[in-house]
Amino acid sequence: MISLLSEFAGGSFHLLLRVFVIVVPIMVVLELFEGSRPFRRLVRLWARLMAPLGMTEEIATPTFVGFLFGIAYGSGVIIRETRRRRVARRQVFLMSVFLSQVHAIVEDSLVFVALGAAALWVVGFRLLWAAAATAFLGAVAAAFARRRGRRHDEPQPAARRRD
Amino acid sequence: MTAEPPELPDLVDPSVSLAASLRRDLPRGIRSGLATFWSLAKAMIPAYALALVLEKLGVITVLGHAAQPVMSLLGLPGSAAVPLVLGYVLNVYAAVGAMTALHLSAQQITVLGLAVLIGHNLLVEGAVLRKAGMSGVGFGVLRALSGLLAAGVANLLMKAFS
Repeated sequence: MISLLSEFAGGSFHLLLRVFVIVVPIMVVLELFEGSRPFRRLVRLWARLMAPLGMTEEIATPTFVGFLFGIAYGSGVIIRETRRRRVARRQVFLMSVFLSQVHAIVEDSLVFVALGAAALWVVGFRLLWAAAATAFLGAVAAAFARRRGRRHDEPQPAARRRD
Repeated sequence: MTAEPPELPDLVDPSVSLAASLRRDLPRGIRSGLATFWSLAKAMIPAYALALVLEKLGVITVLGHAAQPVMSLLGLPGSAAVPLVLGYVLNVYAAVGAMTALHLSAQQITVLGLAVLIGHNLLVEGAVLRKAGMSGVGFGVLRALSGLLAAGVANLLMKAFS
């Protein structure tokens, strides 16, 4: 019992120390630069990078924020953008597929790198994987929509409220 | 030719000096950093305690035996199923907490890390996607499966190149 408690205390301390050293500085830096003009330039650059996957500029901000901060932290922007503007359903789908495979790229990746994972794999391979998944599922969805004779590029009625 | 979109107004007031904006934003950044740290700690420490107790009680060994076939396809010990399941239900930090209690090699941490990074916090994040008009359940299943698939591919590639 004593050995279990001391293992728990020691393990908890190291775990918290690692998270503190990584997460707090990142949050401070992000807070400082979030609203700035360079950040918005980045969003525009991001839209250009995502264009080959079929994503347009209307979905760039929530995708970029989710990519950086995660689906949970970026949820405000994601839900607001998909409701406020009548974004095409296909765009929301592509964003969801991409973000479901890769998000919170800095914070989550660093936690695993701190644990001993190879950065090249948890960042580089995951990005390639997400791009491939988005291209593949985007093509599958387009094929389905064609078979049903629907135009999936049309704006959907604003997402239904479910709260 | 399409007209250039009008330049967006700058959120940072140019009349406010850099020092003044630092004075305003730095404490806010530190506060949000500490708040994030606190919410992460609240998720991680109970998960770490749970994983430690489950391990001492031998529950991890039982779960591990059940998940052995899937885990061994990924080059992982059966006990790696526990952080994976904790990650699905809770979050990345719960999974990391549970992984601390195991003894994995760097390659195993990378492979398991990919599975957890792609599939985690499925309940909370599924709710977000649902509010955006997508299927939360569908994306939960997609992430669990594609995470395992990505981990399997990465394991094979890493073996081939090492």
